[in-house]
Amino acid sequence: MWTWFHKLGSPKWFYDISGRWLPWLVACMAVCLVVGVIWSLLFVPQDYQQGLTNRIFYVHVPVASISLAFFPLMAIAGTVSLVWKMKLADVVVKVAAPLGAWFTALALASGSIWGIDTWGTFWVWDARLTSLLLQFFLLIGMISLRSALEDTDAAAKACALLSIVGTINMVVIKYSVLWWDVLHQPPTNFTVDNSQPNGPEIWIPLVIMFLGVYLFFVISLILSVRNEILRRERRAQWVSELAAQ
Amino acid sequence: MANAHTSTFSAFKATLKRDLLIAYKRKNDVVNPFMFFLIVASLFPIGVSPEPERLSLIAAGVLWISALLAALLAMDNLYRADYEDGSLEQLLLSPHPLFFMVLAKNIAHWLVSGLPVVLVSPLIAYMLSLPDGSYHVLFLSLLLGTPVFSLLGSIGVALTVGLGSRGLILAMITLPMSVPVLIAGTLAVQQTQNGASLLGFLAIMGAMLLFALTLAPLASAAALRISVN
Repeated sequence: MWTWFHKLGSPKWFYDISGRWLPWLVACMAVCLVVGVIWSLLFVPQDYQQGLTNRIFYVHVPVASISLAFFPLMAIAGTVSLVWKMKLADVVVKVAAPLGAWFTALALASGSIWGIDTWGTFWVWDARLTSLLLQFFLLIGMISLRSALEDTDAAAKACALLSIVGTINMVVIKYSVLWWDVLHQPPTNFTVDNSQPNGPEIWIPLVIMFLGVYLFFVISLILSVRNEILRRERRAQWVSELAAQ
Repeated sequence: MANAHTSTFSAFKATLKRDLLIAYKRKNDVVNPFMFFLIVASLFPIGVSPEPERLSLIAAGVLWISALLAALLAMDNLYRADYEDGSLEQLLLSPHPLFFMVLAKNIAHWLVSGLPVVLVSPLIAYMLSLPDGSYHVLFLSLLLGTPVFSLLGSIGVALTVGLGSRGLILAMITLPMSVPVLIAGTLAVQQTQNGASLLGFLAIMGAMLLFALTLAPLASAAALRISVN
């Protein structure tokens, strides 16, 4: 187990192994997304209340669930980077922030598009929307902190620390916003439709979309980690050999 | 340099005393956040509406947001001067746990920048026509909430102390993190007007304060060690 852990610390090893995984991951993602998108957008029976609009659910839910994973991911990678000084962990902390901001923005945007038709407005100060918005702000803060610190080593430590603090804070924010929403929100016509019978024709395409979007996330993470590795190791011999090919 | 016989508690007291003394000698740093609080709070009647009915609806939120912004503005003084004249490095070199030194600095900072805001808040609340019976709620919740702003802001300042353009980054890190306190504080005022019990809100805010008091100085200390090397 520890040899595996040590290998993971080597950017070159990760670059090689991820290069071998990538084609398979991309193929799986393509299959899942093509099948999932066609199935969920064209063949799933229409929701009896929301009509066609409900189908954005199949994009929104997987994207939103991924965007919630970014802070825990950065906190774990940040801890590894602080404790074991693993280079790769810091690369993950760095690239996860902009990626997380994009996924969060995508979740907010797809939720808003859904909301225009369902709620009659693209924005309400609902607990989940508000906490996602705050998460987006915090991620932007992390990106700007990283870009302001010139020394790579100091930036790695500072961002690792901020990702841990941010994750603890995100938990508090989530619960306090939930509490605020319960006490604050006048009754609105939210119809998230948990009450409806959700048969297999509803959830199988959702599972496929989940797989596709998760693979998309893994692939984007790997690709940005590979770019960052090349950028950081540009003076290493294996990179110049790679560039010479 | 502290000798080996100095106890951590006396080092804590010395740091606290030193920071209060510095604040006393540089009165601008004390007065500015306070004046900022007054100015921001008085912009709302001008910008929103001078009618007492409308103002009384937003009074609690206005006071809380003004207090948060004043705390944010005051934050920069926390480590900046010490960083520039090198006394921060001395603090890091001291044999005592950095946790307590940071805590002393945070407490001194709150006494100087947070407490005046809390003390003057009933007056501003009156000018914003806060409903009767909410004054003690506002006062107590600010008393429990503003130290959390100082403690959280300290992490952000410690992370950005060496940077040239730190103001906006500090705001982007600190403001989202302060939202739970803002929520609890404004809800306390609004919900007690509707008959909710005050103690529940005070308990939650007290819990937030204790949570921040125990964990935030740890993070600030770690951040200082990263920023000063």
